[in-house]
Amino acid sequence: MTETVTFYIDGQAYQVAKGTNLVDAAKMHDIDIPVFCYHPKLKPVGMCRMCLVELGSLSVNRETGEVERDEHGEPVFRWFPRLQTACTQVVTDGLAVRTTTEAVVQGRNSILEFLLTSHPLDCPVCDKGGECPLQNLTMGYGPGESRFLIDDKIRLDKHVPLGELIYLDRERCIQCARCTRFCDEIVGDDVLAFHERGRRLQIVTISDPPFDTKFSGNTTDICPVGALTTADFRFGARPWELQEEATICPHCPVGCNLSAGTRLDRDAGGKKIIKRIMPRQNEWVNEIWICDKGRFGHHHTRAEGRLEQPMLKQNGAWVPIDWPAAYDLVAAKLRQYGDSLGVLAGPSLSNEDLWELRKLAGLVASEPKLGVWPAAMTGGDLVAQVGVGSGTMLRAVGPETAILVIASDFEEEAPIWWLQVKQAADRGAAVVVANARPTKLDRYARAVVRYRYGEAVSVLNGFAAQALKDKSLTGKLSESRVAGLSQLRAALKGVKPAFGDAGRMLLSAENLIIFAGGEGLSVAQHRELMQAAANLLILTGRAGRANSGLVAVWPGANMQGAYDLGYSAEATQALLDTPPRMWIIGAANPVAEDARAARAITGAEFVVATSLFMTPTSEAADLVLPRQSFAEREGTFTNGMRRVQRFYTVQGIIGDSLPDWKIFAAIGERLNGPKARISAGAVMKDITAHVPAYAQASYPRLAQVERQFPLVGGDDLYYGGTAYFNLSGLGLAIPPVAEDGSAQLEVRPVTVDAPASTDADLSLIPVRVLYDRDVLFEPSRLMHHRVPPPSVELNQADAERLGIADGDRVAVEGDGYQITATARVDGRAPAGYALLPVRLSSTPAPTTPAACTVRKIGE
Amino acid sequence: MEHILLRDLDIPDIRNFDVYVANGGYEGLKKAVREHTPEEVIQIVLESNLRGRGGAGFPTGRKWSFIPKDAPIKYVVVNADESEPGTFKDRQILEKNPHQLIEGAMIAAYAIQATAVYIYCRGEFWDLAHALEEEIEAARQANLVGDDVLGSGWNCPVYVHLGAGAYICGEESALLNSLQGLLGQPRVRPPFPAQPGGGLYYAPTVVNNVETLANVPWIILNGAAAYKAIGTPESSGVKIFCLSGHVARPGNYELPFGITFRELIFEHGGGIPNGKKLKAILPSGASGPVLPATGEVLDAPLTYESVAALGSTLGSASFILMDEDTDMVWAAAKMTHFFKHESCGKCTPCREGTYWLERIYRRLLRGEGTMRDLELLKSIPRNMQGGVTLCALGEFAANPVLSTVQHFYAEYEEYVRHAEATREARQAAEQMHDYTLGEAGELPEAVGQGGVR
Ligand SMILES: Cc1cc2nc3c(=O)[nH]c(=O)nc-3n(C[C@H](O)[C@H](O)[C@H](O)COP(=O)(O)O)c2cc1C
Ligand code: SF4
Ligand code: SF4
Ligand code: SF4
Ligand code: FES
Repeated sequence: MTETVTFYIDGQAYQVAKGTNLVDAAKMHDIDIPVFCYHPKLKPVGMCRMCLVELGSLSVNRETGEVERDEHGEPVFRWFPRLQTACTQVVTDGLAVRTTTEAVVQGRNSILEFLLTSHPLDCPVCDKGGECPLQNLTMGYGPGESRFLIDDKIRLDKHVPLGELIYLDRERCIQCARCTRFCDEIVGDDVLAFHERGRRLQIVTISDPPFDTKFSGNTTDICPVGALTTADFRFGARPWELQEEATICPHCPVGCNLSAGTRLDRDAGGKKIIKRIMPRQNEWVNEIWICDKGRFGHHHTRAEGRLEQPMLKQNGAWVPIDWPAAYDLVAAKLRQYGDSLGVLAGPSLSNEDLWELRKLAGLVASEPKLGVWPAAMTGGDLVAQVGVGSGTMLRAVGPETAILVIASDFEEEAPIWWLQVKQAADRGAAVVVANARPTKLDRYARAVVRYRYGEAVSVLNGFAAQALKDKSLTGKLSESRVAGLSQLRAALKGVKPAFGDAGRMLLSAENLIIFAGGEGLSVAQHRELMQAAANLLILTGRAGRANSGLVAVWPGANMQGAYDLGYSAEATQALLDTPPRMWIIGAANPVAEDARAARAITGAEFVVATSLFMTPTSEAADLVLPRQSFAEREGTFTNGMRRVQRFYTVQGIIGDSLPDWKIFAAIGERLNGPKARISAGAVMKDITAHVPAYAQASYPRLAQVERQFPLVGGDDLYYGGTAYFNLSGLGLAIPPVAEDGSAQLEVRPVTVDAPASTDADLSLIPVRVLYDRDVLFEPSRLMHHRVPPPSVELNQADAERLGIADGDRVAVEGDGYQITATARVDGRAPAGYALLPVRLSSTPAPTTPAACTVRKIGE
Repeated sequence: MEHILLRDLDIPDIRNFDVYVANGGYEGLKKAVREHTPEEVIQIVLESNLRGRGGAGFPTGRKWSFIPKDAPIKYVVVNADESEPGTFKDRQILEKNPHQLIEGAMIAAYAIQATAVYIYCRGEFWDLAHALEEEIEAARQANLVGDDVLGSGWNCPVYVHLGAGAYICGEESALLNSLQGLLGQPRVRPPFPAQPGGGLYYAPTVVNNVETLANVPWIILNGAAAYKAIGTPESSGVKIFCLSGHVARPGNYELPFGITFRELIFEHGGGIPNGKKLKAILPSGASGPVLPATGEVLDAPLTYESVAALGSTLGSASFILMDEDTDMVWAAAKMTHFFKHESCGKCTPCREGTYWLERIYRRLLRGEGTMRDLELLKSIPRNMQGGVTLCALGEFAANPVLSTVQHFYAEYEEYVRHAEATREARQAAEQMHDYTLGEAGELPEAVGQGGVR
């Protein structure tokens, strides 16, 4: 427990934890000390001088140790003669501040006067106008009129691109360094800096490519003026015209809370559309940050080519049909092929969609095969057992917590988790990164473990064996709580703990979080990896605790939800092994992404797909149903940490599109299923009734909020930035089974398949990159410069042997696939492997490891 | 009396290692290392009442005593950034008597058990810096610097570092940033350089001025009492006074504290040329308030305390003298221009205040000033003082304005009354080349476009 101390603001006593920053301490008691450069998530720099206060301390009699009092019995304070910056002060017992004296009022007034001297005052055309800390604090504390002659004003460039996404207006910049400090301290990307000095002090980008970070947009939120604007929104609308709607990012398993600024837009025919995406504060999830994919990757919601009507393929041509006809057709086909039905659920279907799809399949098949797409990872059921415990908050973990990130290129796959784990490492958490190749997180890792692709499991087995040797960790385990314990002990007997240092770091911390990706693993191998992770957590007693547990780095926003509702990658594998005659594909694009799936799907007799666009998968279908994007309807996603979160209707509906759940329910009605629910909330009510883990996840519960710190948005935007205050729900973290002390847990020995040796040249390893050509991302054209061309990474030795140099055009071929790509020989690929970023090529490639040959082709 | 610091005036070739050693050089270091514990050395310097010559006059022994004994890494950083207008004393030591600085720095390093010494030279001193490196090498070969100093088992290399020409990098925390390869901007204090987290590479660090350290060998050899006997009880020892401006014999004068302004200017400096009258004195370069040359001022002793009592500061004792023909508005404009040019821009009042003040002076010099501008000259500088800036430069920048407005207001009024500017003043305004207005155009192309493309 941190010590609580008493401090005084304007004579009133308050309590706060010792060592709290003074500005924060005041804010916690709803007292404003105005700031520009200070930000509660950054270290203080004392630059802008806005936070001037009078500082003093309680006067204590040296001899008696008692507080001195005046004739009225009031405590006496001693004051420093000069003003001091509050932001560089931490609270100690007896500290006192005065914020209303003449000197303070004059000090603040003059700082604002100084800031405004060379400020362009172009509020009427400034993007920040209406939500600008400088405007607000000037109203609150500034001089009423200007003593500065306009002709004396400095003139500077107003449209300086800092890379393609962010523009700098040099006249508006007040040199507070929030943007540079965000990049340096929070992200660790050395991309922005000050150039020159004095009134010539300028923000410049110092990286090549410019402003080369995945988090650049956040600087525009915390910039206290309109100096930084996004290419997406600048001059797009005035903030006060926007209606803010709460939503959740559909791109990755982090589940960042977003606020969509919308308005009825002339350019969209008067429809309500998204003008910009901003973070919405959720300190349990994304705090006040989002990555640039989440911020700028929303254009699929209204891009050209959105399907507006059900489309039926007739004699090779697409003809529009109406919904009843579409429902009837699918119902008829289901009656016909129900016993040979395959279901594929895309990564960003909501829980409500998944539930209705499962119900629909259940109407025609007794044990429907419910597959997820992409089918590269599995083990969501194990996450349900040993996922992170209640109260887990990445933002707050420190030296007491160890974090293992295995088989994942973390920043590419889950940017905000990466950001938080990086900061946890800065705070002293023991971060261990295990992968077959280098990734960016290695920089911040206390230990890096290298293994050969396919052998990730042996690393975890090694740690488990090491844990078993430590009786203080594993001595108290009992067979009654943990099934399979003796078998596991026996199996691990012969295992020699490798990577002892990394193991010691992981095992000596109080808590252990394991982030498991799927890189280089087949689905079967991935299940073993997840099991091995579960074994380790259970053996060490870490399962079921706050800031401990297993998290899968899923390739999508709601794959954990899919597992919780009965879908799996194993089902997908089974379907691809014996393809069904009919497919229902919900919001997925397997035909474009995987050669084997493409064959299985094109060979079927009837394929119905819900989709936003005409994708290769829709083209391969017989009937395409226009679905609504996440922006046009309500729903919930379950993020990788098993927090169920609501998203709300944000924009107007495109065409006749419908939410997937409604489509599936309407078809079900035609198969004598129950009547379709009238709202997503009602569907969730069904889920709460039938899925025990989700019993508490009703919409009203998910909409609950709590007071969060730091305060952002609203009146507090000078303090935390323009990220949005969360009024619409922090979601509900579903506790893992292990949290129930009486629940039976299960461990199982896992074995390592030695990777099969093939006579092929190389093994192809699909790897994930953040900026890809996914259906949900491709339409955001302003991001295209960030999406790399199709490439394949080779080891130096392999490249030499094959006569390939960096930059060569190559053909990558294997069983049933061939793609062309640019060869990269940059030292990341281990010998014998070709790393293929997924979703970059328009031709399908494997989604799990496969044999391949690589050869150079002409220009 | 023989010089303590400017010994080159007595022994012309003392810059050479052999000559320095032949004249008792490095005996202070040897005595310190062989006969005294580090604590004793600190105690001697404390008792000598040596105070920092870089400007603030902080007791040197006290500063050394703040360094935590148990810190594994500690540094001594020598502040040789000497950039204050009218200051050229450190230069003479570096150029003519460098070993005395090296010796003093090594004694300081011994006293705090430093792991290395860095000498930070202003960029314009590149020739001195190169020569200094050779002298350090000579000392190293004699086992006075580097590994196992004098067989004591203590290792302490000495490095020379060149700045890039910024006044602010003389401010100690900005200097440390610059030395680390960061932007030369001051740091928030606490932590102070002596504290963990505040020094060079965030390790406890003593930062001392060149002249300060050059006193130390003498003090060790001759004892604290002998040093304290020179000067006055509060301002002990000798000080190098830099004389420049309207004075017959400009230059450096090493004299005991306590002599009067009059003695310094008229006896040592030879008075004001061309029979002119002395009008105003800047006792500490551009950064301290201007003093009018009144009888009261001229008869005051030169000590930290008495100059402060007159309403100015002794600072680094850089006396810029101005005769009766000097245009005080022009002089204040020059200094304002200097501070505007040198402000690091980190904190608001200084960055914006110096810019604003300079704009007003340009107007005045052009003959376009108004009474309203004079009101601003009274109030803007006040808003730059009183703890509102991050470092002292902002406070310095306000001094020439406030003090000339206080003592020479009539000259300002004259400027406003004669709305038509004199030709000279107009030219002066044009000469004040404005970097700021030409801003975007002047930045390197890459910067103008936002950075590396
Ligand atoms: C703007 C500014 C410029 C300074 N320039 C110098 C300088 O050029 N040389 C110097 O020795 N001290 C300079 N100082 C003082 C240093 O910050 C520091 O006090 C000094 O180096 C300490 O050494 P001392 O205790 O030996 O005087 C400057 C201070 C300020 C605020
Ligand atoms: S661009 Fe914005 S955040 Fe960056 S220094 Fe300028 S005002 Fe601050
Ligand atoms: S980190 Fe993931 S959830 Fe968050 S904004 Fe980025 S893509 Fe979306
Ligand atoms: S007072 Fe001036 S020089 Fe000092 S930190 Fe502020 S802007 Fe920089
Ligand atoms: S100096 Fe405290 S908020 Fe900027």
